Amino acid sequence: MSSAERDRLARVSLSRLTEPGDLRLLPLVGELGAVKVHELLLAQGDLGEAAADLAQRLGDEDPARDLERAERLGMRFVIPSDAEWPIGLDDLSGVEPLQERGCTPLGLWVRGPLRLDSLRESVSIVGARSSTSYGDHVAGEIAATCTAAGWGVVSGAAFGIDIASHRGAFSVEGPTVAVLACGVDRAYPTAHRDQLAYLVKTGAVVSEAAPGWTATRVRFLARNRLIAALSRGTVIVEAAHRSGALNTANWADRLSRMVMGVPGPVTSAASVGVHQLIRRGATLVTRGEEVLELLDASGGHLLIEPRAPENARDKISVRHRQVLDAVPVHSGARADSIARAAGVGLIEVCRSLRSLETHGLVEQRVDGWRLGELGRA
Amino acid sequence: MPVATAHTVCLRGAVGHLIDVQTDVSKGSVGTTIVGRPDASLSESRDRCRMAVSNSGLEWPSTRRITILLSPADLLKSGTHFDLAIAVSVLAASGKLAPDSLKNTLFIGELTLAGDLRSVPGVLPMVLAAAERGIERVVVPEPQAREAAMVPGMGVFGVRSLAQVLAVLCGDQVPHAAPVAPLSGSRVLCWRGQQQREQADLADLVGMADARFALEVAAAGSHHLLLTGPKGAGKTSIAERIPSILPDLSRSESVELTAIHSMAGTLQPEQGMLTRPPFSAPHHDASKVAIIGGGRGRVTPGEISRAHCGVLFLDEFPLFRSDVIEALRQPLESGEISVARSDETVTLPARGMVVLACNPCKCGEYSADPDNKCTCRDVQRRDYRARITGPLADRIDITRELLPLGAAQRPVPGEINESSAVVRARVERARLRQAARYEGTGWRVNGDAPGPVLSEQFPMSPGAQACVDDEVYSGRLSRRGATRVHRVAWTITDLHGETRPGLREVEIALQLRTGAPLRVRDLARRAG
Repeated sequence: MSSAERDRLARVSLSRLTEPGDLRLLPLVGELGAVKVHELLLAQGDLGEAAADLAQRLGDEDPARDLERAERLGMRFVIPSDAEWPIGLDDLSGVEPLQERGCTPLGLWVRGPLRLDSLRESVSIVGARSSTSYGDHVAGEIAATCTAAGWGVVSGAAFGIDIASHRGAFSVEGPTVAVLACGVDRAYPTAHRDQLAYLVKTGAVVSEAAPGWTATRVRFLARNRLIAALSRGTVIVEAAHRSGALNTANWADRLSRMVMGVPGPVTSAASVGVHQLIRRGATLVTRGEEVLELLDASGGHLLIEPRAPENARDKISVRHRQVLDAVPVHSGARADSIARAAGVGLIEVCRSLRSLETHGLVEQRVDGWRLGELGRA
Repeated sequence: MPVATAHTVCLRGAVGHLIDVQTDVSKGSVGTTIVGRPDASLSESRDRCRMAVSNSGLEWPSTRRITILLSPADLLKSGTHFDLAIAVSVLAASGKLAPDSLKNTLFIGELTLAGDLRSVPGVLPMVLAAAERGIERVVVPEPQAREAAMVPGMGVFGVRSLAQVLAVLCGDQVPHAAPVAPLSGSRVLCWRGQQQREQADLADLVGMADARFALEVAAAGSHHLLLTGPKGAGKTSIAERIPSILPDLSRSESVELTAIHSMAGTLQPEQGMLTRPPFSAPHHDASKVAIIGGGRGRVTPGEISRAHCGVLFLDEFPLFRSDVIEALRQPLESGEISVARSDETVTLPARGMVVLACNPCKCGEYSADPDNKCTCRDVQRRDYRARITGPLADRIDITRELLPLGAAQRPVPGEINESSAVVRARVERARLRQAARYEGTGWRVNGDAPGPVLSEQFPMSPGAQACVDDEVYSGRLSRRGATRVHRVAWTITDLHGETRPGLREVEIALQLRTGAPLRVRDLARRAG
């Protein structure tokens, strides 16, 4: 057996024993390697209090059979030495844990044709479960714009913003990935069974939790770090005060990923959390193009700032404009009355009027000066 | 005694007056006079009747003095349907008919010089009014016999000519006559093909969850709806599909609507009773009379009355004329429309839902997209929007902004959009709950329920009431608005299958009213 295969089997065994993001075991694996930790545990080596309860259960595992069964069900277990491993996850080993969860996962259970290494160019879109129609619309549009430009979308599978983001990506047949807190063989929430099945067919469903495991609150917290780490930046669309989506934003910030927020009406309870994020320094975004401009390599997807069309009035000096403002629209006025109205000397007014005439802004008629065709526009 | 009486009906708005046409034929200076406030078209009846009688092979008593009284004499009368009653009463007065044969019989029909009958508008409401006054049989032009027969217990004779009427009254064999032409006033052109509209289904539209919900609530409780959004966002498409989610009309609604259409002369005789809710979408150039009703002489129901129990859709609403916009205030509030004339006021029902559609500006391009192609100036935008603010906006129950179509609006394979039939089933259930609750009252849906009755007999939960009061006292909601929120909250309650409006229903009603985005979870929760 090659060392890579031994590593994989060790990781499968360990993943069945540890909670996602468990700080007792994952740092050890990072330091010693999965095979070594596995051996030590089996030998009931002196690894502290973690060892006693783990080692007992480890002996009953049959990782080869687990892998075989998973493969039959269309699942694969991606580990750090695989070519498919999304290297963004390695950043997790270097950051402080949050709510006692952290570290690079042992591996990822994956269903679906999408390769995880393609997520190097991807964006996470997360937000409130109890979203509004506005939030759903914006999340869908951002997802559609980003995936149409070839970027991937990473999100959960919850109600609200999560599923709206996937729906947006579906509509342009773009790459999209759902990271679950339960095993990838489970459909949770059950209302999204069809969407998850579609993801398995066209994108990918990913989880750190072993197949069969259910979703718990703690697993959601651990799952959030993967969403943040898999992508290059996280967009929060609608998050109420103390929303779970803010936990993902926190992870993105720790991982030095871009944190972006879509504002809502300040009167909307569903947007309070996002507004707080923006006040603390998250970048305000309103469209997919703006997200791409922030995330892409510098110079990619540059936006042209919208400007009002320039008209003839914008090109002249303030002094000339002062005179122009005093020129009547229809009936003509003489230069001295224009000078009085504009508060500018007569000689200068005459000079200005000649200059404005060459621009077509004023015209001279029998009864005096009035605005020309361009001036009236 | 040479005096005979025949009966007919004169319509003033939705009220029908039974008219006695009394004729006296006696010695005196030769001539025919009609008294009892006839208008011009009715005065001409004298000549039509005389020629019709002579050309039917009968004798007009032209050597005597003929006085025709339309009684009660103080009521202004108009319409050509008096011809038949006048002709038979003259014939009875001159001894050609037994005066008793005219008893308890209603005569409706216009005569031609050849003695043939012509169809007239308003047969159904006339017969309805006559039935109330104890009339037992009615003689109408043949194509309108079906319309008259909609009134239960009425003996209907459909005839083609004056000669046939006489034969019917005397019990003789009915002579042959040419068929009667149908009404000339039917609409030749429709705004869109009727067929195309009937095929429109909500399943054709992708997304728009928020607008779909608004549509469902509006349809379930018959609430007024305002749809805003840039050009191409789907305002017209979704409004056109409202009839597809409305249930069939009840028996009483059907009679009311058919009567209105009969008065307007837009009833196709072969159609029979109108059983589907009407959808009326007049162009924004329409005059006030066309929308509200009125006209010279006889008051004709406007589009808003023709959309009774259905939908009046005013697309590009700010482009409607100011007098039309102002005139809509009354029907939006009270569900009826009064047309005042110098000598009378006519009231017509107008309890349909009014759906307004409005662009963000005159060119319709203004949106949050920085690349929008709007060419309007700020002032123009303000003027355009100002036309739906103020008193009118206060009378709109539900405001929805449709967002421009984006990349994410493309259909996803395997995703099925809810069809009209599914929504209609829910609307029907909600309407049944309302009908049960309001049984024995004068209204059928939440949208018509009077405010005081709602707050006394059908209150919301104390918590919900506190929420509404808070909105009112903080000045964000008018008193009228509070009543309207109460009504919409009831409709949402009916859709949810709950027993009384709680805080959640009121919150949704407030969001619907202010145009705030709805929580997606609330959209999903409807009684299954």
